Amino acid sequence: MNHLPFEEWLLNNSPVTPEQQRDLDLHLRTCAYCSALVETGKVLNTAKMATPAPGFTMRFQARLAERKVAERRRKLWGMILFILGGMVLLSWAVGPYLASFFASPATWISVIVGWLVYIGTTLFALLDAGVVILSVIPNFLPPFAWLVLLSTFAGMGLLWSVSIWRFVRVPQGV
Amino acid sequence: MTEENAWVLQAQQGNDDAFTQLVETYQKPVYNLCYRMLGEPETAEDAAQETFLRAYQNLHRYDSSRSFGTWILSIAAHYCIDRLRKKKFSVFSMDVEDEDGTPFEVADPASPDPEVESVKKEDRARLHLMLKDLDATDRAAVVMRYWYDYSEVEIANSLKLTVSAVKSRLHRSRRALAGMWQEEKSRAHPERRSRESLAF
Repeated sequence: MNHLPFEEWLLNNSPVTPEQQRDLDLHLRTCAYCSALVETGKVLNTAKMATPAPGFTMRFQARLAERKVAERRRKLWGMILFILGGMVLLSWAVGPYLASFFASPATWISVIVGWLVYIGTTLFALLDAGVVILSVIPNFLPPFAWLVLLSTFAGMGLLWSVSIWRFVRVPQGV
Repeated sequence: MTEENAWVLQAQQGNDDAFTQLVETYQKPVYNLCYRMLGEPETAEDAAQETFLRAYQNLHRYDSSRSFGTWILSIAAHYCIDRLRKKKFSVFSMDVEDEDGTPFEVADPASPDPEVESVKKEDRARLHLMLKDLDATDRAAVVMRYWYDYSEVEIANSLKLTVSAVKSRLHRSRRALAGMWQEEKSRAHPERRSRESLAF
């Protein structure tokens, strides 16, 4: 059976002229599907709200309190595990040094002094290299290249900021 | 600033009593949505409670330019859709509970026309059962449209769909419901159906 245009009228709740209404009534007498469409529409339009059992808010408060306790407990356990893990890692990392410390203080003192000297000399070497590079590069690059370079950095900075903003922006309807 | 906005603002600042006021105000719409989506009073209660907990935890994300009601119903709808997708099969228990979540009863004899009232009640219960055969998102769209009078734009915003997708989902659901209704009626009254088919 052809349901057009009656189905469209019923689905869209379109206003109909008296003549169209008469045609629709005639169609409904013979079409079980469109009659079902009308009946379900009536039932949907008179739908009632279901109500929760009394005491919903109190149950929510109890559940919220439980959740808060569970959350605190979870955080506490997380912290304990983090600290324990950190301690294990630390003892693994400094274990050999502690062993040498207990074996002979002279060895670990010489190791620490060696490390400090190494760090100091490396820093000074990097500083010198940086000064040399900075004093040499401007002579090689024309002002136009500087402009392009700075614009690129600025563009990347902007892109980075926008990405962070978009990432942090909060969606609705979590 | 409305009273509701004031509650939201206070709740965002950590006032639990203000949030309780919001729970008090929205418990019925949220529960109803969950009930229509999930079908069982116990599951609906659990989903409604979880919805409020999620809202509480994400209150700092709420954009006050939007209606709180729409926001919380959107959370409820997404939660129920996720739950239905995980569960795959939802079980309804309409044989023991009526649509108000209370034990099923015969019509009140004190009402103006108990028989009509009883038929209406049965029709609503039948339609409620049929909702379970709809796709989870279609079901959410139908509930928002007919129980909350949401416009297609509001449904689209709540369910993160386009307006045309909402329209098409609503039409598809109405067609499906009418088909099921027709089938159910012909099963209940086969003799009437045979007479009707002669008339064609």
